[in-house]
Amino acid sequence: MTRGSRIFMSCIYWAFVLYVFVPLALMILMGFKDSKFIGFPIRSWTLDWYTGVFDDGAVVSAFGYSIAIAVLSTLVSILVGTWIAVLLEGRKFVGRPVVFGLAVMPALVPGIISAIAFRIYARGLGIEPGMGAIVWAHAVHNVPFVVLVVMARLSTLPKSQLEAARDLGADPMVVFLRITLPYLVPAILGASIFCLLLSFDDFVRSFFLGGYEPTLPVLIFAKLRSGMSPEINAIATVALIVTAAIGIWAERFTRRMNKDSKP
Amino acid sequence: MTDTSPLVRIDGITKSFGSTVALHDLDLDIAQGEFVTFLGPSGCGKSTTLRILGGFETPDKGRVILDGQDVTRLPPDRRNVNMVFQDYALFPHMTVAQNIAFGLELKGLGKAAIKARLDEIMTFLELDGYGDRYPGQLSGGQRQRVALARALAPDPALLLLDEPLGALDAKLRGQVQKELKSIQRRTHKTFFFVTHDQEEALTMSDRIVVMNKGRVEQDGTPEELYFHPASRFVAEFIGETNLLNATVRGMEGNDVIMDWHGQTLRGHVAPGRKLPQGPATASIRLERLGFGKVRPETENAVQGRVIGSTFLGSRMALDVRVENAGDAILKAYVDTATGSTLGDGPVWIGWDADSMAVLND
Repeated sequence: MTRGSRIFMSCIYWAFVLYVFVPLALMILMGFKDSKFIGFPIRSWTLDWYTGVFDDGAVVSAFGYSIAIAVLSTLVSILVGTWIAVLLEGRKFVGRPVVFGLAVMPALVPGIISAIAFRIYARGLGIEPGMGAIVWAHAVHNVPFVVLVVMARLSTLPKSQLEAARDLGADPMVVFLRITLPYLVPAILGASIFCLLLSFDDFVRSFFLGGYEPTLPVLIFAKLRSGMSPEINAIATVALIVTAAIGIWAERFTRRMNKDSKP
Repeated sequence: MTDTSPLVRIDGITKSFGSTVALHDLDLDIAQGEFVTFLGPSGCGKSTTLRILGGFETPDKGRVILDGQDVTRLPPDRRNVNMVFQDYALFPHMTVAQNIAFGLELKGLGKAAIKARLDEIMTFLELDGYGDRYPGQLSGGQRQRVALARALAPDPALLLLDEPLGALDAKLRGQVQKELKSIQRRTHKTFFFVTHDQEEALTMSDRIVVMNKGRVEQDGTPEELYFHPASRFVAEFIGETNLLNATVRGMEGNDVIMDWHGQTLRGHVAPGRKLPQGPATASIRLERLGFGKVRPETENAVQGRVIGSTFLGSRMALDVRVENAGDAILKAYVDTATGSTLGDGPVWIGWDADSMAVLND
């Protein structure tokens, strides 16, 4: 690469970084502005919006509600997804591609379509909108990611490990619990974090399937309709910090685990 | 079970994968305490035999009898056989001690018994102090010993070894070969070793079974196989050899009288075997040829000229053209002192009838 083109490439890169991060930075900045109106100039600073966030019962409960939904839907997706992955990777059977296709499809369906479909289906079954319905929709949406991540990990498990365990007296169940499952832990943890974040972030499904209690994204949306205020910036900043921290920690953690468990 | 019945009896085993026949009606007895090596090129059926003994494959036909019990259809976890895998297959998330104790726990031993056996086997294989390490923190030789310790710990009747030295470097391999042999002697365990490396087979085994295309090519001690190969395949697969295309004229006891480019040679066949008159191949090992300026007192002697020599340290590799036998080329090893006196004049080459095996083609 010539010097000129290298400078050109790095300009493009930094332009991209600005494009991505300037809105986030502005959002964070406005959360500290001591005025109800968002925009420059900022004449004085305050932390009131943040204290307001933690004092606002609706925000705190929406936060807790979102986290509860994220945890429950993640548990369901991990159980179902791991089970499907083990089934698919284990042995060839008739209809294997069909099962794989069905398991992965929810990731490909546009959010709005699947949300409407869930809504109609839930009503048909008589399922009340609310936590159960949201957990169910999130779980279905997240299963494909679990299946793909766990299958990728499973495919690298040497077959001789399973045979060695059998050879030493383990029946298939013991092999699964003592060899396969520990090997999958990094993948399962990674997939869990991903599912938690996906669920926490989801708006469309939560909006269509929610009852009276809003999740955090739905609450922010509701607040936005009554006008922008730095309170929303403060809420968003807190959510951003929490999710980014979890994401970064998980990335480092799974990377280390993957390295440790290399045979 | 009486002392004379074999530990393992393989009775007429046939196994195919799709249209490929991996094993063809294999019969074999293995005695208690034997170090048996299955030797052959890849795809010869040696690994399939091992996997059938381990319970990882079920034969299409035939039975496997272990200690008097038919185990043909028993899964691996229910037979008293353990295996050292080619890649060792150590469990990466368990420490060395946990790896070795795995089989003991599944045997239902108590904590104290596991501890005692663990200490015993780790001391035996010089793994003391490595108990808390993870397999990823060990060298190749150490991993190999852990794999061996793990397989020996539950005290199996038969130990299967699937090319366990393949991953080691050449220097370490020689040392591990000696160790393995010594471990086998000291434990009095029956070892079933699979390899494609003829040198490994020769140095360690009590008995070698040479396999080719799913059939037993020859079954005997390393010496028998080396000096008296029964077939061209065995002669070429084990060690280096000269192959002579001769014509059988007749038999005198176990000696075969042959004609080779106008020279009359005496060869050897296994007792009781009769060769018909006609073309045959004879095999003579490179180090069995003797050289001299005068005609040697051996049963076979021809005259030739050294046309090439390579210095190999303690010995020399020679190429000799046999002038009174159609200019055939014989390869030979001689000690350096002898080799350097030969010059390029005519020399006599002699060998005993017993050194030359006449082969089944």
